[in-house]
Amino acid sequence: MIAGAWLCLCAPLAGALAITGAGERISRRNAGWLSTASVFVAFGGAVWSFLGLRSHGSEHGVISTAWTWLESGKFHVGLSVLVDPLSTMMMLIVSGVGGLIVLYSIGYMDGDDEERRYFAYMSLFVFSMLLLVQGGNLLLLLAGWGLVGLSSYLLIGFWHERPSAVAAAKKAFVMNAIGDATMALAFFVLIAHSNSLEFTTSFATAGHLSSTTVNLVALGLLGGAAAKSAQIPLHTWLPDAMEGPTPVSALIHAATMVTAGVYLIARTHPIFEQARTVELVAAGMGALTLLVAGLIALVQVDIKRVIAYSTMSQIGYMFLGAGVGTYAGGMFHLMTHAFFKALLFMAAGLVIHALSGEQDIRKMRGIGTLMPWTRWAFLAGALALVGLPPFSGFFSKDAIIAAALHDHWYGVVLAVAALGGAFLTGLYTFRLYFIVFGHGQVSDAIDGSHHGEGPKTMLVPVGILAVLAVVGGWIQLSPWWHPVTSWLSPVAATLGVAEPPKSQEVLASVLAVALGLAGVALAYALYGQNRLAVPRLPGVQRALEHKLYFDEAYDALFFRPAAALAGVLRRDFEEPIVLASGPDLGEGALEAGAGVRRLQTGLLRTYVFFLGTGMAVLAIVFLAVR
Amino acid sequence: MLQGPGIVWYLGIAAFLFAIGALGVLIRRNPLIVLLSLEIMLNGGNLALIAFARHAGNGAGQIFALAVMAVAASEVCVGLGLVVALHRRRLAMDVDQLSELRG
Repeated sequence: MIAGAWLCLCAPLAGALAITGAGERISRRNAGWLSTASVFVAFGGAVWSFLGLRSHGSEHGVISTAWTWLESGKFHVGLSVLVDPLSTMMMLIVSGVGGLIVLYSIGYMDGDDEERRYFAYMSLFVFSMLLLVQGGNLLLLLAGWGLVGLSSYLLIGFWHERPSAVAAAKKAFVMNAIGDATMALAFFVLIAHSNSLEFTTSFATAGHLSSTTVNLVALGLLGGAAAKSAQIPLHTWLPDAMEGPTPVSALIHAATMVTAGVYLIARTHPIFEQARTVELVAAGMGALTLLVAGLIALVQVDIKRVIAYSTMSQIGYMFLGAGVGTYAGGMFHLMTHAFFKALLFMAAGLVIHALSGEQDIRKMRGIGTLMPWTRWAFLAGALALVGLPPFSGFFSKDAIIAAALHDHWYGVVLAVAALGGAFLTGLYTFRLYFIVFGHGQVSDAIDGSHHGEGPKTMLVPVGILAVLAVVGGWIQLSPWWHPVTSWLSPVAATLGVAEPPKSQEVLASVLAVALGLAGVALAYALYGQNRLAVPRLPGVQRALEHKLYFDEAYDALFFRPAAALAGVLRRDFEEPIVLASGPDLGEGALEAGAGVRRLQTGLLRTYVFFLGTGMAVLAIVFLAVR
Repeated sequence: MLQGPGIVWYLGIAAFLFAIGALGVLIRRNPLIVLLSLEIMLNGGNLALIAFARHAGNGAGQIFALAVMAVAASEVCVGLGLVVALHRRRLAMDVDQLSELRG
């Protein structure tokens, strides 16, 4: 099973290198197939290690070290991969959903100028993500974390001739760098105290640290998780990142990368449990994000942005679950979310592709009649997102709400927020569905530019994900049947406070489904047949359209002071002192050179004289000092 | 102990030879004589090395002296070659006038 894990890790890297190395000797289409094959080989490796681990029993996780990667005194880190329940689960999701998305890209990117570069980046991204989840120690995890940031930067900015894409890529990179920095600081603290970044040692050390220290470490980790997973206050990069190609949005911003934060919390939960306050902050952060993102999603008109905000909101649920202590619940929602959100993005991609790049939902009305398959697929994803039974979201989301409900008054607040989020989810999802796919006159513009539903390479992955979005949740129905929880229990056991009784599970499910349905019903009333006028609240609407002014606030808080400070320094320091001193320095050097030049007579005897004199002086000094 | 004069005498002669050589390098202008003076300096050094080798009772210094001789021989080859080349071009046999590389 270790061989499977190494295969899983190395195949996408090999694919990326092969595409890069082959250059123009490989056709664009073949580059796509090569990339797809490499990711599916990785999926095969993941299945291999999953089956191996299953036959050994999930508590027998293995670390395999290839060689010592870094060594510094007593501190040394190996290049090692970890096969345990958590990592195999992530490997399966990343490589499986990732493979489908890369396959889909072949059709979506067909005809783009730089397809080979795109597919090399895609493989690199999958490799980075696999390194993140398979890394056998925290340093490798951080390496994967940084590589994921890099490849998402490359992919978001793939259409580099668009200034907005370049700006979005930079924004994503900077925001992620903040998280990377806080994580690195947390690791420094861990190294200082335990001289190791192995998982087991670090977790054992966390128990002996003072509460301040462990809180600091947990906060650093939380900062990294929040930046990568686009949680408030580090979320502003995710909507802008929709500038990348749609499959990239599906891969990075739905299925894999943004869920890395949830994985991090589940992976380092022993540290978070020592710092329970920070863990609850994470849960609160998730609750706030899911509400805010749900509200903003209500007014967006770009189809991908709506789904992006919905992603933020769903990751809020995962943070909430992981924060209150049901790590398996968070991971389970991560898995079902990967299915239905990748499906939604890819269905949206089909629409965008059919309309030659149009992303404004107001111009898509009536497209459903022309694209019935896409419509059904999108509907399946939407129902799973809202969490109606028997679609997959129902099983995972309600378990989180029920777990939150169990944890005293704070948990009740969180659960109420999550239920409000369920209503919002129903509303914004079906607002999108009814506007894009609802009945209505097909506009002439659409009729003229419509290309049909798309090639098979695009429809097949969408179909597979549609099936997964429907049945993917059936592998766990808490509290009666919970294979996912018991599979993960050796590495991320659910906390006692997050194990609700059956009655609460039922209550949470009933409430969540009822609220979700209410949201759907309201969306139908408002947008379904245009029967009701959409209520006008100009102030609120403007605030939401500006995404609650987060960008503006960051601009005023960080960018403008920094720019003003730089301006002052330029005017009062750079120009008068640094720039003006340049010519003076040059003249001084010239004068000094002219003085020294006189010593260089070009006569051998002068040099020998100086040499001899120097020797004599040294000899005298030596004798005198002795 | 070994018979003969003490090491101080040898070192004295070595220093004397070295000083003569150095003086020659400093005040003579003919490149041939400068080379000759250099040889004298090197042999002063050699004498000191061998004296120390006898004094210390091992052969390390003698090996050094042999190495110095080898280097000196090659240096003379190059130097004399230069002198011959100067002569053929009918250039002045004066090191002070050969200062074209002065900065």
